[in-house]
Amino acid sequence: MSNLHTVVCVKIVPKPEEVSVAPETLRLDRAGARSEINPPDMNAMELALSLKERHGGRVSIISMGPPFFTPLLRVALAMGADHVYLLSDRAFGGADTLATTYTLAKGIEKLGAVDLIICGEESSDGATGQVPPGLAEWLEWAQLTMVNSLDVDVEQRQARGRREIPGGHEILEVPLPAVVSVQTASNEPRFMDYKIKPWAFAEGRVTVWNQADLAAEAEYIGTPGSPTIVSGLDEAASRERKRIILEGSVSEQVEQLVAVMEQAG
Amino acid sequence: MKPNDEPILLDDALWDELITLTGGEAAACYQCGVCTAICPWGLVKEETFSVRTLIRRAQLGLPGGADVLWLCTTCGECEAYCPRGVDIPNVFRALRGVAWQRREAPEGLPSLLWSNYWNDNPWGQPPSQRMQWAQDLELPLFDPAEHEILYYVGSTAAYDKRAQQIARALVKVFRAAGIAFGVLGVHEPPDGAEILDVGHRRYFAEVAEQSAEVFRTHGVTRLVTTSPHSYDVFKQEYGRFYAALQPLHYTQYLAELLSAGRLHFAKPLARKITFHDPCYLARHNDETVAPRQVLAATLDTELLEMENSGAETLCCGGGGGRMWLETAAGERFSDLRLDEALETGAEVLATACPFCLACLEDSVKARGIEQLQVLDIAEIVALTVAS
Amino acid sequence: MVKSLYGIDEEINAIWVFLEQDGSALAGVSLELLARGGELAAQLGWRLVGFLPCRRAAGWVEEAFAHGADEVLLAEDPLLEHFTVEAYTQVAYEALWEHKPSIFLLGATPNGRDLAGRLAVRLRTGLNADCTALRVNPAGVLVSEVSGFGGGVLALIEMAHHRPQMATVRPGVFPPGEPDFNRQGTVVRLPVNLTVESVHTRIVERVVGQGVDLTQSPVLVVGGRGVGDNFKMLYELAELLGGEVGATRPPVDEGYIERARQIGQTGVICRPDLAIVCGVSGAFHFTVGIQEAGTVIAINTDPEAPIFAAADYGIVGDVHEVVPALIRELQVTD
Repeated sequence: MSNLHTVVCVKIVPKPEEVSVAPETLRLDRAGARSEINPPDMNAMELALSLKERHGGRVSIISMGPPFFTPLLRVALAMGADHVYLLSDRAFGGADTLATTYTLAKGIEKLGAVDLIICGEESSDGATGQVPPGLAEWLEWAQLTMVNSLDVDVEQRQARGRREIPGGHEILEVPLPAVVSVQTASNEPRFMDYKIKPWAFAEGRVTVWNQADLAAEAEYIGTPGSPTIVSGLDEAASRERKRIILEGSVSEQVEQLVAVMEQAG
Repeated sequence: MKPNDEPILLDDALWDELITLTGGEAAACYQCGVCTAICPWGLVKEETFSVRTLIRRAQLGLPGGADVLWLCTTCGECEAYCPRGVDIPNVFRALRGVAWQRREAPEGLPSLLWSNYWNDNPWGQPPSQRMQWAQDLELPLFDPAEHEILYYVGSTAAYDKRAQQIARALVKVFRAAGIAFGVLGVHEPPDGAEILDVGHRRYFAEVAEQSAEVFRTHGVTRLVTTSPHSYDVFKQEYGRFYAALQPLHYTQYLAELLSAGRLHFAKPLARKITFHDPCYLARHNDETVAPRQVLAATLDTELLEMENSGAETLCCGGGGGRMWLETAAGERFSDLRLDEALETGAEVLATACPFCLACLEDSVKARGIEQLQVLDIAEIVALTVAS
Repeated sequence: MVKSLYGIDEEINAIWVFLEQDGSALAGVSLELLARGGELAAQLGWRLVGFLPCRRAAGWVEEAFAHGADEVLLAEDPLLEHFTVEAYTQVAYEALWEHKPSIFLLGATPNGRDLAGRLAVRLRTGLNADCTALRVNPAGVLVSEVSGFGGGVLALIEMAHHRPQMATVRPGVFPPGEPDFNRQGTVVRLPVNLTVESVHTRIVERVVGQGVDLTQSPVLVVGGRGVGDNFKMLYELAELLGGEVGATRPPVDEGYIERARQIGQTGVICRPDLAIVCGVSGAFHFTVGIQEAGTVIAINTDPEAPIFAAADYGIVGDVHEVVPALIRELQVTD
């Protein structure tokens, strides 16, 4: 068996439909929202765990956020991951992608021998999809994004992934270590293993690292490390279906339909 | 099939596991094969689905048989005929439990469990939208001091647009009868019935314990369900977590209201109706009377009976987690059921279960049958009740 | 505070657009960005510059001029024939560092996202990702609209001190504008210093026109029982819209279409930007398969069909009339 060490980046996000914008302050109100593992990250975990089944080695989970994320991250241990690393420090707060990828990269560096990082396609809250390439750049690793399947050649130290492109697919190969992102819904995440769940939720290893542990430079983390600011916030038009019936003759209906489709992209 | 001369390797740990999971249930089987003969899959498949073989495997502690293991709709017909009284659906659940441990569950079922884990419902729907079906109804939050019953809507009636009509009809009926009832709204916990059906007993126990705790903290005792599956699981499995729970299926509750003289009908229906008994009422809980009493009270004609009725009912195909698995065209029990219904000359095929409703209605649409309408008993009562 | 490699004191007043090509044509979103970038540049009195890495520019430079570019920076090299993140990042980085534009816009395509994500870190600057609207204030600050939380929340993002101001923009949000092939511009050739060793990504295989992955299609045309066996017209419509065809269970059962295209609880769960649902009544086990869709359009003869409650726009009518009419209308519009 190999010593393949795969790290999965996991984000804890509020349930999207439970987040609103406070009408007076125009700030994000996520107080009442339930949290979950970012659904695309579940696909990343499934891929990592299936590689572990095929090649042996171990799977670590890395996440950034407040301590209350811990119980949610233990779900990953119950699925078969070996160790959770939570990067947690007040100073990490307010991070945009630049600061987030820097902090995660510092965590990966501290982990030492990592062969592969697997990320979900994007997060359901920010939906930028910029963490995988950003992380690869800080680490100066190869990257392979949006794959729907992946295999590694541990001896040759290569990863080979398949991804969909408009009207077909391509197969790409990169050297390890590499950062990979997985297309959402490209696999079905396994449910928790109830033989290991009691261990996962009681003793499973969760290590918390703060800024000092990572030796992260203050100007690169949290708000100071984030070039972008949110200058305005608004709730989008209702997420409920509009239920508008287009009236008129067939040609009038079709005309309206084309206008609607242009808006929808 | 393995040739007989090939050695069979027994796995002791697995054997122990199966014996524990089934409570030694399979041991009583003497391999007579009645179960295989009676199984409704025999009506739609050329190759018989050998229930007996699977029971034998369970006795021996042999996993596998995965190809047919997930076909079982837990309709309970085999159990009803078993001369040794083996709880066969439970043996199937145990075999499925072992399949989960070996990561052999079919595609789609892990997602069912995850949905329940993150959303408190098996349909992947947002938990915060659990009460959207009743947005305009202003239903009160259950209060044990004020309310006679808790109306337990259940996930399917809460989210499935068609099944929502059952819930809305029931609200109309309860109101017409002057029932003081409440709901748990977005805090209504999942019943976990489909988790048990697909055999994940350990996760089910976790869900049931949490849900029972919600009922306890809200002071719920009498609880009326939309679905026979909810009723069954509350009745059979929740007692060990919360003994005070008194579940009723809504047809039982309506029958009770009838005899108490609390339910009045304005205009009896002059339509020809036949009734499809849900397995989880008729077989798993011996309830064939209450739905008929309620239907009879709404009609000015005799209820028509199908060839297989009452405890002999033919499954719609939607139990045992089959709602989350694809059933090939030509193998759907509901198609056979329609033939039976059409033979009675009925205009309405009544049922009392959201899964039966979905399966039967799908078949009616697929076959383009126009002379037969599928309705839930709640909807029929709501049509005739005096407001 | 983190500092970008160059800041507002060094920036050059220009808006750059990444011109993405696949060897045969410029990406639609690149033309859309030229159109919108041109409007913003005009507001500020700045120049609009196209950045074009490729093996050899076919008519793409002229096309960029026709769509509003004042200048095209051309990087030609055999190693730039196909997109690889190492080569493209290196060439773009050198060009940006040399010319220090204030704004750099890219399409939020898979390649655009890969490139932008790496460049932003290399330049230590901000990145507004997957934007749905762009504007500038008189001081030259780019304000980008992005959506999050499943589209439920809109945010305006900007950066005050970091340059270039980078943004990836969702394809299709801006109209591409009318080309004017009489427009002229200047071409600047960029030096390219790439070695084979610097490129780590190897393309093992690339196949076009095989298999179907409904989960990744931006547009879905879905047929139900009401379509009968006439899926041909749905394929025609899907092709016009750059999408795929899916189906509910009954047509699959009838053998009118393959099982791989079945959508719903026991089929594929999809998240297209647009779903056009034809002759489908709207059973729950189907609608869960499209609940994540951006916009849902339903066409059905029965005004009572539950599908209309799961749709944004509905047409009560016969799919055999409405769909052909829609196809004709789209052909005319094209």
